[in-house]
Amino acid sequence: MTLDVSAKPADLPLRPRRSPIAAGWTWLGVVPFLAFTFLFLIGPVLYLMVGAFQNAEGGFTLDNIIALGSPDIVASFSLSIRLSLVSALMGTIAGLVLAHAVILGGLSPWVRSAFATFSGVASNFAGVPLAFAFIATLGRLGLVTVLLRDLFGINLYSSGFNLFSFYGLSLVYLYFQLPLMFLIIAPALDGLRKEWREAAESLGASRRQYWQMVGLPVLSPTILGCFLLLFANAFGTLATVYALMGSGFDVVPVVLFQQIRGNVLYNPNLGYALALGMVVIMGVSNTLYLILRNRAERWQK
Amino acid sequence: MKKPVPYAAIAIALIGASYFVVPLLATFYFSLKMTRGELGFAAYASVFRSADFAATIVYSTIASLAAIAIGTLVIVPTAYWVRLKVPRLRPLMEFISLLPLIVPPVVLVFGYIRMFGSSSVLPLTASTFGTDILLVLGYVVLSMPYMYRAIDNGLSVIDIATLTEAAESLGASRFRTIVLVIFPNVRAAIISGAFLTFSISLGEFVLASLLNRPAFGPYLVQLGQDRAYEPAALAIMSFAFTWGCMALMQLFAIRKPGQRWFSRSTPRTATGSSA
Amino acid sequence: MSFLTISNAGKVFGATTVVKGFDLSVQKGEFVSFLGPSGCGKTTVLRMIAGFERPTTGSIRIDGRDITDLAANKRRIGMVFQAYALFPNLNVAGNIAFGLRIAGQAASEIDARVDDMLRMIGLAHLGKRYPYELSGGQQQRVALARALAPRPQVLLLDEPLSALDAKIRVSLREEIRAIQRQLGITTVFVTHDQEEAMSISDRIVVMNGGRAEQIGTPFEIYNRPATRFVAGFVGTMNILRARLDRGQPQTITVAGQKLRLAAPPVTQDAQGNLSLALRPEALSLTRAEGHDSTFTGQVQSVNFMGSVVRIRMQVNDELISFDMFNSPNMVPPVIGQTALAHFASRDLFELAA
Repeated sequence: MTLDVSAKPADLPLRPRRSPIAAGWTWLGVVPFLAFTFLFLIGPVLYLMVGAFQNAEGGFTLDNIIALGSPDIVASFSLSIRLSLVSALMGTIAGLVLAHAVILGGLSPWVRSAFATFSGVASNFAGVPLAFAFIATLGRLGLVTVLLRDLFGINLYSSGFNLFSFYGLSLVYLYFQLPLMFLIIAPALDGLRKEWREAAESLGASRRQYWQMVGLPVLSPTILGCFLLLFANAFGTLATVYALMGSGFDVVPVVLFQQIRGNVLYNPNLGYALALGMVVIMGVSNTLYLILRNRAERWQK
Repeated sequence: MKKPVPYAAIAIALIGASYFVVPLLATFYFSLKMTRGELGFAAYASVFRSADFAATIVYSTIASLAAIAIGTLVIVPTAYWVRLKVPRLRPLMEFISLLPLIVPPVVLVFGYIRMFGSSSVLPLTASTFGTDILLVLGYVVLSMPYMYRAIDNGLSVIDIATLTEAAESLGASRFRTIVLVIFPNVRAAIISGAFLTFSISLGEFVLASLLNRPAFGPYLVQLGQDRAYEPAALAIMSFAFTWGCMALMQLFAIRKPGQRWFSRSTPRTATGSSA
Repeated sequence: MSFLTISNAGKVFGATTVVKGFDLSVQKGEFVSFLGPSGCGKTTVLRMIAGFERPTTGSIRIDGRDITDLAANKRRIGMVFQAYALFPNLNVAGNIAFGLRIAGQAASEIDARVDDMLRMIGLAHLGKRYPYELSGGQQQRVALARALAPRPQVLLLDEPLSALDAKIRVSLREEIRAIQRQLGITTVFVTHDQEEAMSISDRIVVMNGGRAEQIGTPFEIYNRPATRFVAGFVGTMNILRARLDRGQPQTITVAGQKLRLAAPPVTQDAQGNLSLALRPEALSLTRAEGHDSTFTGQVQSVNFMGSVVRIRMQVNDELISFDMFNSPNMVPPVIGQTALAHFASRDLFELAA
């Protein structure tokens, strides 16, 4: 059997060549997904965004955006932003301290596993049940409140504490913010290579100098990014607030909720503007989070 | 030289642990106090006896399962297709799958109500069934970041290009390849994502409340306003449920494709007979 | 006068003894390598010098001063790690300047010193780059500059070239040696690559199982291995079992053949068994001057390795390796053919167990 040496390699394709039209067909495969997300995610949100700039007749107007400047709405946004900032700050600091103690503090490895597992669950335990749990703990008849009164003579509520307040709510938020921070910062702490510490030591650095000049700077993109993530997380929370405070606590999601429910004077275009404001704020903070996360990953290479 | 005892770290860990555990203990204790003067499970019994509880749990369960099914049907073929044929689109797909994280549920449902309201092209909210569909689709969207990530991860550990070529060389159409080859191998990833979806959807409040459907979330809020001890019992059950879902999610996430539940009692030989 | 003295150092981790009875005196400006397989304790001794591990027994002195209990950040020791360990948040100049900033030097002094170091490692224009923008070899050079910038008394290198690819390894080790010579700094270099150790060290410490098996110059280690382990670890070595003939003080039977040794052996056991070592380059297919002995056997394999052809020959119950220089005109032996390998009996040397 002789080899056909006359055939050049180019004449013997390994696969049937695809015609140019075929390349277009491959896009069909993602059409269902794109159609779905467009119809049920992007579409509705865009509808609201566009609607924010329309008046009741459908014409272009900036009235709704201007209406966002009314004292009630501004107060709402201010409250939401303040609450989210405080909650994010609490979560960031507490999470960092806890993660550092558990991972780098010289404790047994099972402690870290226990906290990691619990954090996985607790970060999803937001909403109505969480509010119930805290009412049962720190409400007026809550277990801790009663124990403090009966065992230590400390009257929690008369000394100014109130679960159903700004700071009480932040304390409740901490229950799902802290675990989220822990879960995100833990791998970053692992990523602090032992050799950096040793190299710094060999160059004469004390512990504090190492953290100041190497440790914290390396962690800072992750810490900052996580802060933003916690901020966005807190900003969008509704069920927890509603279950704890009822309709009285006017954070932006609750205001929008009431608007939709029709419990207040129904002005759909104002609702659009509120929605726009929410999406913008959350979009900005999440985008910044992603940028910072990429920066942190690049350094770890 | 012995290592010094890390007092500070121990103290911090204890404070953290008590912050997490005390509310659970308090809630559990509170839930046992329904019967005056004694500790008992009366609150739990009351919950289980309630017709509303049964009805809303069933409704939410069905909605969650439907969301899982639809999510799987939409995402699995798409993720497979993208990995196989148009890998350049992967970043776009990932971005889209993460979009629900920046859209709060209240905004999403608002968009639904306006866009699919009675006066629109697709008046889903005009009928009960249409609203149910909208609720389910909303759950699909909310769980999309997690489902897509879980399924994409599951696909990344099997060599779908080679598996597809093998299936094609044996005569399977693209459709049959997906059903007979791809699906079974990402089953664990799907189930893992499913548990997370289940955990999110069951107690979901915002969508269900604003779409006025008899789901578990609104039932919980109503109960919180009406009763004292049953909400505590439900909070404990909810926590246990979330814990169970997370544990099962983890279990399935680390499963390899084709891994058996239990090892075969008798080893199989190549000819199929037991040795 | 020894600059770095390690006396009877030992280290125990839990139930495992990782280092035992380690003694070493290093002169000022000397380049010493610790050579051995994984787990032999070489890195542990290095880390004891650096201060990252505390010796369980023994002491370490530098320039007359006992530093055994001194904290790592006070020892003025420069360390280069296998994984570079450059600080990712600082650029090249920032990394090199780190030790100087800690020491509180003036900014102008620091800048001048950093420029000197950059020039010394040949990366004068890369001061503003960040570690992730550099190749492995460049990162390691920066790590070297960073360690040397604060003028340490001793330079320690922990397998610095293991993570790099072969060509860079060779060129970088020459650079390291050249810089070390130029600065005259006392250096300890840990490696598992014997070619690396032999090519750049003044002296080598061959370690095995936590002990120093032999300390000597590369020539001594290679040509006069003290133990069986050193003979086998450094270079290829033919290790032959021999038996002393009864009644004949210098005649042995090895590989089924009788041989007369150049001198009476001293390491045989009660039955007259002993181990002999013979370097592959001591054997040759052609008889040269001084060759007074011959092994006759069958060629088992011929491996062409570039400049060297390695031939293995079966001589009764021993497999003997020998190398021939490649020559374009030569005809390599054929597998299975009978061949004669000539050598000088004085090149056979005894091995302690």
